[in-house]
Amino acid sequence: MRLPVMSGVATGAVAIALHSLFQGGAWFWTSLGIILVVTGIGVLATRYTLPYWLVPPAQLTAVWIYLTAVFAGSQAWALVVPTKDSVLRLAELAADGFTDIQRFAVPVPSTSGITLLTCSGVGLVAICVDFLAVRLRRAALAGLPLLSLFVVPASFLDDPLGWWVVVLGALGFLGLLVADGRERVGHWGRTVLVRRAPSFVAPRPADDPSALRLSGKRVGFTAIALAILLPALLPTLEPDPLFGFGVGSGKGGGGSAISFPNPVANLRRELELPANSTVLTYLTSDNSPRYLRLYSLDVFDGEQWTMTKPVGRAEDRTSAGPLPSAPGQGPGVPTAQVTTRITVSEEVRDLSFLPLPYPPGTIRIDGDWRPDRETLMVFSHSDTAGGASYEVVSAEPRPTAAMLKAAGPAPEAVRERYLPLPDGLPSEIRRLAEEVTGEGTTPYEKAILLQEFFTTKGGFTYSLATQGHDGSALADFLLRSRSGYCEQFAASMAVLARVLGIPSRVAIGYTGGGSVSGRWNVRTHDSHAWPELYFEGAGWLRFEPTPSGPVGQASGSRPPYTYPEVLTDRGDEPSAAPSAGSTGADPSSGPSAARRNPALDRDFGGVPLAADEGVPTAAKAGIGAAFALLGLLIPALLGCVTRQRRRRVYARQAVPPLTPSVPEPAGVTAVRAEHGTAAAVSAAWADLDDALCDYGMAREPSESPRALARRLARQYGFDAEAAAAVTRIAAAVERLLFARTPGATGPMSEDVRRVRRALAATASRGRRIRAVLLPPSTLLRIRAAGARMLDGFDRLGNIRLRLPARRDA
Amino acid sequence: MAVTHDVSPRLDDLVATAHRIREAIESVIEGKSDVIRLTLTVLLAEGHLLIEDVPGVGKTMLAKALARSIDCPVRRVQFTPDLLPSDITGVSAYNQQTREFEFKPGPVFANIVVGDEINRASPKTQSALLECMEEHQVTVDGTTYALDAPFMVIATQNPIEMEGTYPLPEAQRDRFTARIAMGYPEPAAELEMLDVHGATSPIDKLEPVATTAEVRALIEAVRAVYVSQPIKKYAIDLVTATRHSPDLRLGASPRSTLQLVRAARAHAALAGRDYVIPDDLQELCLPVLAHRLLPSVEAQGQRRLPEQVIADLVRRVPVPEAQAR
Repeated sequence: MRLPVMSGVATGAVAIALHSLFQGGAWFWTSLGIILVVTGIGVLATRYTLPYWLVPPAQLTAVWIYLTAVFAGSQAWALVVPTKDSVLRLAELAADGFTDIQRFAVPVPSTSGITLLTCSGVGLVAICVDFLAVRLRRAALAGLPLLSLFVVPASFLDDPLGWWVVVLGALGFLGLLVADGRERVGHWGRTVLVRRAPSFVAPRPADDPSALRLSGKRVGFTAIALAILLPALLPTLEPDPLFGFGVGSGKGGGGSAISFPNPVANLRRELELPANSTVLTYLTSDNSPRYLRLYSLDVFDGEQWTMTKPVGRAEDRTSAGPLPSAPGQGPGVPTAQVTTRITVSEEVRDLSFLPLPYPPGTIRIDGDWRPDRETLMVFSHSDTAGGASYEVVSAEPRPTAAMLKAAGPAPEAVRERYLPLPDGLPSEIRRLAEEVTGEGTTPYEKAILLQEFFTTKGGFTYSLATQGHDGSALADFLLRSRSGYCEQFAASMAVLARVLGIPSRVAIGYTGGGSVSGRWNVRTHDSHAWPELYFEGAGWLRFEPTPSGPVGQASGSRPPYTYPEVLTDRGDEPSAAPSAGSTGADPSSGPSAARRNPALDRDFGGVPLAADEGVPTAAKAGIGAAFALLGLLIPALLGCVTRQRRRRVYARQAVPPLTPSVPEPAGVTAVRAEHGTAAAVSAAWADLDDALCDYGMAREPSESPRALARRLARQYGFDAEAAAAVTRIAAAVERLLFARTPGATGPMSEDVRRVRRALAATASRGRRIRAVLLPPSTLLRIRAAGARMLDGFDRLGNIRLRLPARRDA
Repeated sequence: MAVTHDVSPRLDDLVATAHRIREAIESVIEGKSDVIRLTLTVLLAEGHLLIEDVPGVGKTMLAKALARSIDCPVRRVQFTPDLLPSDITGVSAYNQQTREFEFKPGPVFANIVVGDEINRASPKTQSALLECMEEHQVTVDGTTYALDAPFMVIATQNPIEMEGTYPLPEAQRDRFTARIAMGYPEPAAELEMLDVHGATSPIDKLEPVATTAEVRALIEAVRAVYVSQPIKKYAIDLVTATRHSPDLRLGASPRSTLQLVRAARAHAALAGRDYVIPDDLQELCLPVLAHRLLPSVEAQGQRRLPEQVIADLVRRVPVPEAQAR
């Protein structure tokens, strides 16, 4: 009877993992109902011993009736009996559900169709679990349908599942296994098992299978605890981001302490390519390079820029025609139609955002790709960009300086989203923004001055090795170090722009790369971050505060409308063509371009990817080894700490219980002195005991302190001093333990040290080293702690959730 | 020579007095300091001693030397098969002058009673003595006469020559606090014995070195020796171990626990300590417990003596300090 119930519980526990797929909880209650129905039929079938093959059909029928009652009650006869209409209604709902699933991105709303599909799925899993675990008695196999249920949210969600979801699911499955094991063992009769008796329970009668169950639970609980804790403790399994994005997020290696918006964290994974490998290649219709944007980060929380989750609507799919128009880009601005043919390298894995020139207009690509209306990021929940070839037609704005100078204020919606700054932004930064752009009168002029400040006037240097990991990094970069790489530049400029009232955001993607035989070749080192500023009429415009060229971002380029010449009022569009990447631009260099000087790469590589890729295996192995070493040293450290603590205690001079001269409450001094003495003697004795253990000198349990002292002196040939010392210690212990009053003792440090030295002199060198590095006494203590923990597990296992067993069987 | 020592229950005095008695006895019995020490322990623990050994090793000599070195009434009873209980306890005789019965105290009315070859007497007589040992009183013709304190019986027993003897049953052996075996002397000690005992018996020259009052004070001092809770528990552990040992058919009685702790007190006091330590108990386990135990059939088959079993147990039972670890 327990097994079918536990099957239901396990299914329910795992089904909870689905919660993050849905908005609202309606699905859960209906799914719970279906689990109850299936479990109820299972319990009845077990109670009346139905043939096993009859159970799934019965359950299926029950599920059908349940679904009819819940979803098509009005069409059914007497609410429950399915009729033709109710069947049609269910089919209709199911079709709706499939459409909805296609239409909505997670978390989906709990529409009737989706709930129906979810319920049926959960019901089927419940039937499978029941059939495998109860009818076929293969409880372990029942993990497979449970796992399939579990995989659904894991595969659809970008965020990892919460640990408690995993624990809950694992506990459910464990419960199923335990129930199965119990029934099995129950059939055997008595168990033959010797187990350590925990201190708090009386020995059980031998025919109780609880001992076996207890071991099982222990293993289970330990496994779950390890599965949850171990990955958290291992440094290499932590998602360390590609970009230490956010201002001043640390060294080029990227392993910063700052957390990341998920797509950015993905980027590192997506780009786990050998150093200097090609990410994508592209051709443009005007044969000039384009910055290709992946992500747009719009939120600044004082430490880092993060991304609002993009929303992809089904009706905006790339296959459905041109993308929504670029926000803010008015019809008056001249545009240049550019067609870009992009081929993403096969080696790029799991990239679910498309690298695109901004603003993308029409994208020709296979698969379900959807743009976010606000940012025009294009992404997919089902497809990846790796190996994809696609064509983008974009209408690039070519605003004139006059137009930008005359740009009106941004709409309220844009201002609301792209202007907020954290309250704690240092006032120096605000002052700096004002100072730098003092000459400018319009937002556009200020933006140009800002870019000039970063590229030339501010004295900024480009360096991959930047310091700073915390919230003050922004101030550090702007006010003090003035040294960083594209992340810091882009983030800082965006922040300053917001200070000045210009809506801004940070884009992450790639620079134009280098040209090889007419094709533009973008490598991992071309990863880049840049700010985008909003000007009413022109929309979002790219700026480039990062120094480019040999002393900066190699392939970076400044857009024509950002040259300071515009401020001198040339009035028209500057003719300076964006310069291509200086190194790889020579078409004749061909393959040699692919073998760039690694030293240069270090300097030119805009993002810390270069460092990140050079390090992994060796560094991770090193870190792992270091952690293993540290782990091994834990007993030594613990031992040291314990010894130091004891030494402090017994080094204290115990005050002899003198009669107080002042009429102090009688005996107080004496009591205090006794306390001190007792602590000191205990500490000294414990220290000596540990020394014996560490040097491998056995101690009989029946050996009294006095006998031990005598034996040590004799067996290890102590000199007179050491023998006297050990005798003194033993006598003090004896008095402490057995006499009416412990009596006064002097400081015992000297005695303990002398005895320790005498003992060490007789131990072999190996023993002495081991006593320091892996002290057996500490290991024993750790083991004792482990035993106490097991006792705790046993207590846990003793919590009886069930009713007292019936004796009628 | 009258001995006039300051009678005080102080431990130093005890040690000094005990030392004097020991020296006096050692002047008679060579090289048996352990045995003498144990004898003194039993005396101070208000117990009785059973000396069991082959003839001629100085059992009686030891008893007599102890008796002599303390200035107190000492009586010696040679047990024979025809000895009657009244020969020990005393009789009521009709006094024709006073025309009433008069109690003639037997040899048991002394501070130290030496019972030689106790196993030769009939069980009836033996039990008469044993009753006095336990109750410290004699009842004759309905009248109860209290015995003087200290009262110590030193009985000797011959383990061989079993013919015509009545070995003490377990219940009666239990009354004795300790049993010791004298053992043969070391060759050097035997040589010295020849030199000294050759001409005269040194026991004749033995002068009392302590008074009854002094011994009583010593016993008081021993009673004041501190026995901590862990030590009591340890004593119980040791005794319990004998009850659970598969090698023993009969374990030690609760009376033996009491006597063990009492003896341990005396032992500690003799060592100049006012508290008992595990070593006291360990040392006394053998003499105090061994004679009360009966080996199981298997142990007998393996010729394991209770002494060996006790030694094993002492090695196995953890001392209180180890338990605290």
